[in-house]
Amino acid sequence: MASIALLVVLVTLLITRAGSVTGDPLSPTNAAPVGAMAVAEVLADQGVTVTPTGSLGETSDAASGADEPTIFIVDADDTLVGSQLDDIAADAGHLVLMSPGFGLLDGFAPEIALAGSVSGVLDADCAVGAVDRAQSVLGDGTGYRLVGDAPDAIECLDSGDDVFSLIQLQRDGYLLTVIGTWDAFSNERVAEEGNAALALNLLGGADDLIWYEPSIEDSLVPGAPTVGELTPVWVSAALVTLLLAFIAAAIWRGRRFGPLVVENLPVTVRASETMEGRARLYQSSSARTHAIDTLRIGTVDRIARLCGLPRLATVEEVTATASSITGTDRGRVHALLLGDVPSSDRELVALSDALLQLERRVAHAVDPTSRATTTETPFSESTEETTR
Amino acid sequence: MAISGWFVALLGFGVVPIILTGSEWMLPAWVGFVLVLAAVDLALAGSPRALNLSRDLPARVRLGETVQSTLYLRNDGRRGVRGQVRDAWQPSAGAHPTRQDIDLPAGERRAIITQLTPVRRGERRAAHVTVRSFGPLRIAARQATIAEPGAIRVLPPFNSRKHLPSRLAKLRELDGRTSVMIRGQGTEFDSLREYVRGDDVRSIDWRATARATDPSGAQKLMVRTWRPERDRRVVIVIDSGRTSAARIAGEPRIDTAFESALLLAALATRAGDRVDLVIYDRLVRGRVQGASGPELLSRMVNTMAPIDPQLYELDWAAVPGLVRSVTSHHALVVLATSIDTAGSSRGLLSVLPQLTQRHTVVVSSVTDPSVLDASRERGSRDEVYRAAAAERALLDSARVSAAIRQLGAEVVTGAPADLPPTLADRYIALKAAGRL
Repeated sequence: MASIALLVVLVTLLITRAGSVTGDPLSPTNAAPVGAMAVAEVLADQGVTVTPTGSLGETSDAASGADEPTIFIVDADDTLVGSQLDDIAADAGHLVLMSPGFGLLDGFAPEIALAGSVSGVLDADCAVGAVDRAQSVLGDGTGYRLVGDAPDAIECLDSGDDVFSLIQLQRDGYLLTVIGTWDAFSNERVAEEGNAALALNLLGGADDLIWYEPSIEDSLVPGAPTVGELTPVWVSAALVTLLLAFIAAAIWRGRRFGPLVVENLPVTVRASETMEGRARLYQSSSARTHAIDTLRIGTVDRIARLCGLPRLATVEEVTATASSITGTDRGRVHALLLGDVPSSDRELVALSDALLQLERRVAHAVDPTSRATTTETPFSESTEETTR
Repeated sequence: MAISGWFVALLGFGVVPIILTGSEWMLPAWVGFVLVLAAVDLALAGSPRALNLSRDLPARVRLGETVQSTLYLRNDGRRGVRGQVRDAWQPSAGAHPTRQDIDLPAGERRAIITQLTPVRRGERRAAHVTVRSFGPLRIAARQATIAEPGAIRVLPPFNSRKHLPSRLAKLRELDGRTSVMIRGQGTEFDSLREYVRGDDVRSIDWRATARATDPSGAQKLMVRTWRPERDRRVVIVIDSGRTSAARIAGEPRIDTAFESALLLAALATRAGDRVDLVIYDRLVRGRVQGASGPELLSRMVNTMAPIDPQLYELDWAAVPGLVRSVTSHHALVVLATSIDTAGSSRGLLSVLPQLTQRHTVVVSSVTDPSVLDASRERGSRDEVYRAAAAERALLDSARVSAAIRQLGAEVVTGAPADLPPTLADRYIALKAAGRL
């Protein structure tokens, strides 16, 4: 299990790290294998001023500030269209397009057309200095074909079938080079074959090198239409109308019909609240003895009244009277009215029931016709039921 | 200013032209159109401030009854007022309906009738009248709140008056009895009549018998008869202190005290006694003195109506002086208070001797029937503890009652519904015994 977990972690790490170190391809500031920092660094060491730019405006400013600079355009995402280059081309001494796509060629160099991909090592076969010095170049990248009428065009790095990896055109006031050997400029491969010689000679021809990587802001081509562009004009207007109607409805319903009339409210206190509070107090402190004593006092008072005893009769007198009237054992009545101490809530409930029953029996014995006793179960029967 | 549902509907209806035209200018145009319409409507609405208001209110109503409150609106403005009127009463005044439609052309007068069924005793107030006057399009309205105070006094219901006929009948039975039944210092000689079987032989007046001979010469046996004495004083002191605010069976103690006092006063004034009422805590909240007959009751309910229990404890030390200020003669003093625990009744117990020395004192107190019920319910553990607490409360009040009796005063207790007739019966018993 542990080894599988380790493997999973390793693979995950590899995948994420491989992705994270990629960076922009052929960027002069990217030291990753796909970048081209090596070429830029070496050129800078050789005294060439390398200016990385990220937008058309920046490039244009840099180009106008320099004297016939070399402008290297790495348009990896086919962001630009050809017509955008006219402006900067005017200031350039040498314009190098790295693997231009259809959009760029169509507007700027219509005589050159894309001719599919190229791979393998290509030999130098033309008079262009950089190629000549390189002798052999890694051709992995894009191939181009001359389709228009261009008498002064130089085609180099032939990979057969009229497909070339480098085509150079002399334009009005500047030199245009279209090059397709993408991999040869990358950090990873620049040291192979004569790649370095090609790159350095091609880009190091002038004192200034403007390394232009177009960004998405330079794009003239519109992306996919947004939801906002797809919706009809009236939708938002209708939504706003409904929102306004909603607000108006809130005002309509919320508008108060005059202020409220203040009223002093009376206090609402139930008189039985003290009793309830005391009951909870007894219960929370488990004051069983206290509770049963209170119940006993009430029972003794009522029995005394029923039997016609004086108010100041003692419990003993009441016990004697009650036991003789009801024919119950005197010791039992005494235990009920005085002796028993409840040790649990269950016993407390049982005792209080017994007290009530004693009261009923006394009432029944004193006045057999009284209404209260007719509906009650006699004492003996209920005890039988509980023991059963 | 106010808007109506039509304004909202009109605004919402703007969706239709906006969709149909599909133009982005339609939204502001429609909103502007609606706003202009509303402004025009508002400008054409009659001014609610131009209304002249007046009220026609009954001065008092008994709690539980319904009266009509009439509000007159006269339009002094140039334009008619169409819309709604709210006569703003306190919630406990039970006003219905609370808002009414009105169409009041310029220069005319209309009445708005509101039914008032107050739910609480006391002074119920109306503070103002709010008028919402719509324009001809009924889109927007002008709204104004005009102060127009009004008040109605809600009297205690005197529900216990249903006991009055039976007690008056009892009272009449006292007349013409022989002395043995009602002997006492407070009885007056009424008349002499011939002895009939059943009369007590001790009431035979031998002198009168000696004088009384028939024209036929037969000797007649004469007995004296008595009637309860008249023109006794009854002083009712009602406790409007803290403890009177507590509710028993949903009714504050003080309301029960009022009911008892009203029944007692109705009875006593018919029996020819003079009744005075003082409602007191630390200040005299209400006092009715020197009234008799129907005026007595109307003055009593009027005095009682606005009185609510205060947060103070009743100042018992001042009560004897208060009674003395009412009458210097022997009187029946009824103290309507609460006797709960020995601790809270200490003040009462300390001044009772001063009162019982000169007067016959009855302490009337409301008991809580739920406490008695609770002392009998012992089904579960909770209920047993509750029963114990209830028993404790009963024992406490029984102790206080015993102490009061020892000090020479009488105690009358009862549930809220039973206390007034019980007190009336005690009065009749005292009168029969000539102890007034």
